[in-house]
Amino acid sequence: MPPVILPEECKRCGQCVEVCPSDVFFGSLKGGIPEVTYPDECWHCNACVDACPHKGAIRLRIPLPLMVIYKG
Amino acid sequence: MRMGAFREKRIDTDVLCVGGGIAGLMAAIRAAECHARVLIVEKGNVLYSGSGGLGNDHFMCYMPEVHGNDIELQVMEFQRGQQGGIRDRSFIRRWLERSFDIVKLWDSWGIPMKYEGKYEFAGHALPGELLTHLHYAGKNQKKVLTEQALKKGAQIINRTMCHNLLYDEEGVCGAIAINTKEDELLEIRCGSVVLGTGSVMRLYPASTPGWMFNTRLSPTCVGDGRAMAYRSGVELASMEIPLIRCGPKYFSRAGKATWAGVLRDPAGKPVGPFVDRPDNKYGDPVVDVYQDIFIDYKKSGKGPVYMDCGGLSDEELQYMLHWLRNEGNESFLDSLEADRIDIRKNPIEFWTYENELFPRGGIYYNEDGKTSVEGIYAAGDEFFGGISGAAVFGWIAGEGAAGYSKTRGGGESKRPTTQFEENASLFTSLRNRENGATWKEANILLQQIMGDYAGLIRSETLLNAGLAALLRLKEKAHETLAARNPHELMRCLEVLNMIDIGEIIFQAARERKETRGKHIRVDYPFTNPLLDKLLVVKKTEGGPAFQWRSLKR
Repeated sequence: MPPVILPEECKRCGQCVEVCPSDVFFGSLKGGIPEVTYPDECWHCNACVDACPHKGAIRLRIPLPLMVIYKG
Repeated sequence: MRMGAFREKRIDTDVLCVGGGIAGLMAAIRAAECHARVLIVEKGNVLYSGSGGLGNDHFMCYMPEVHGNDIELQVMEFQRGQQGGIRDRSFIRRWLERSFDIVKLWDSWGIPMKYEGKYEFAGHALPGELLTHLHYAGKNQKKVLTEQALKKGAQIINRTMCHNLLYDEEGVCGAIAINTKEDELLEIRCGSVVLGTGSVMRLYPASTPGWMFNTRLSPTCVGDGRAMAYRSGVELASMEIPLIRCGPKYFSRAGKATWAGVLRDPAGKPVGPFVDRPDNKYGDPVVDVYQDIFIDYKKSGKGPVYMDCGGLSDEELQYMLHWLRNEGNESFLDSLEADRIDIRKNPIEFWTYENELFPRGGIYYNEDGKTSVEGIYAAGDEFFGGISGAAVFGWIAGEGAAGYSKTRGGGESKRPTTQFEENASLFTSLRNRENGATWKEANILLQQIMGDYAGLIRSETLLNAGLAALLRLKEKAHETLAARNPHELMRCLEVLNMIDIGEIIFQAARERKETRGKHIRVDYPFTNPLLDKLLVVKKTEGGPAFQWRSLKR
């Protein structure tokens, strides 16, 4: 679901938990790998990806209903 | 009732900024400069919250050396447009007058307002028209403004939602809020308030069924400010007139102006009269003036319509992507890349977000950022204005609020016990209820009712039936909503706010017995020139009181 965290890359700093505008990580424990408690409240705004100090540890998976329609 | 469920905390300040978006941060910075104690209360985190959270790239600005010394010409021009048409001349003039100062200020703080060393205007205009939107690299704007606010001494509390303003015999004296991180109830005492909670996003159905956070602007902006202002007797205006916007399908995202491509039909023919090749300066302005084009193409059998960026040179493409990224479209562009969609080879379908209505109006603040109630100020998308409006009027409101708070006792008065207990008891009942309805159930039903009965087809009978249904929802929501934790409590309170806003929309839509813009009264198809006025509404003991007010043009 929306933000995807790679447990082996995550430094457990909690930056994504801190900044998410929708608080999708609500209830995540300090010092642990963040949990996506409310995935369908994600706006896919990229705040968590932008704030993560370790590039690649978190990414967004865009859900199918948001598929971009294009030609060709 | 377990009143012990909440820890309580009291905070005293002079100026309370509700919402830490562009308007709230600008208000806080200015109020702190004016030697007021300032508190920003933000539902999310000020670093990324609001509709400017991930950036913006257009700032409406009047620069005499670009636009000429006659500001009145610009005021007139602006008032002819969709944004300016519902504002008094004095308001537009103040906005234009102050815009360049704010641009210079932002630039000095480290938000790049120039491109390659000079001011560059582009977008939101028809070819040949004077450009009034400054291209700027706003990706870091929230970080910069947050730094400034902290540097000037403002205090920021994130993850905190204000639900109602509090009063004493002198007027507004504070607010009651919940902190969802600490699970605390806050009693905030202040001398004045600046409301800056943004637009209203989750009131009408989203463009994607079942995915209600797929909204054009931030889905956490749901009209908390309008709702608490209305409950406090503040005047709202133009709530009955909905707006719709267009953009990429199905990933809802604001920001058409930066796309440089041409909108074309499936055979490749441009759908608008303005451009036939990509243009980084104007884009394809057809959607600025004709939001329904995608609906009309679909209905006439000629759709769909595509944003075709074919023909952009490498350099032009990089230029466009630079602005799109600064506008907060990172995740959208990354998703195209991940799906190997090449925007020069694969035209992207655009459409009208026709379900996603939002009220054009809101809290009617004037050119001093004042609302109709002393001590309560508002700015930004509490009415409308985009980033430039939020920045300029946030600044002005902050200054006014700082001045006003000095005339007050400074938050030392007695607690308004009844109001406080009423709010606390609502929160407690939501938290303590078992097996109740979720906020999501209530939000979905609200969206259904708004879309079906106060959507793009309106009539007396539909509006009456819809209002009756909405009032039933309101009653059920108050009786059955349940929150398992403070996060869900916040969502429940958001829904209760949206229900209040929905009620105002129904009432105001019944009052405007004509068709105007997207307020389409099929029983009154005529646009009555005599009703080219603002419909102002205020809560009174006997229900909503309406007033028609002329605009000074």
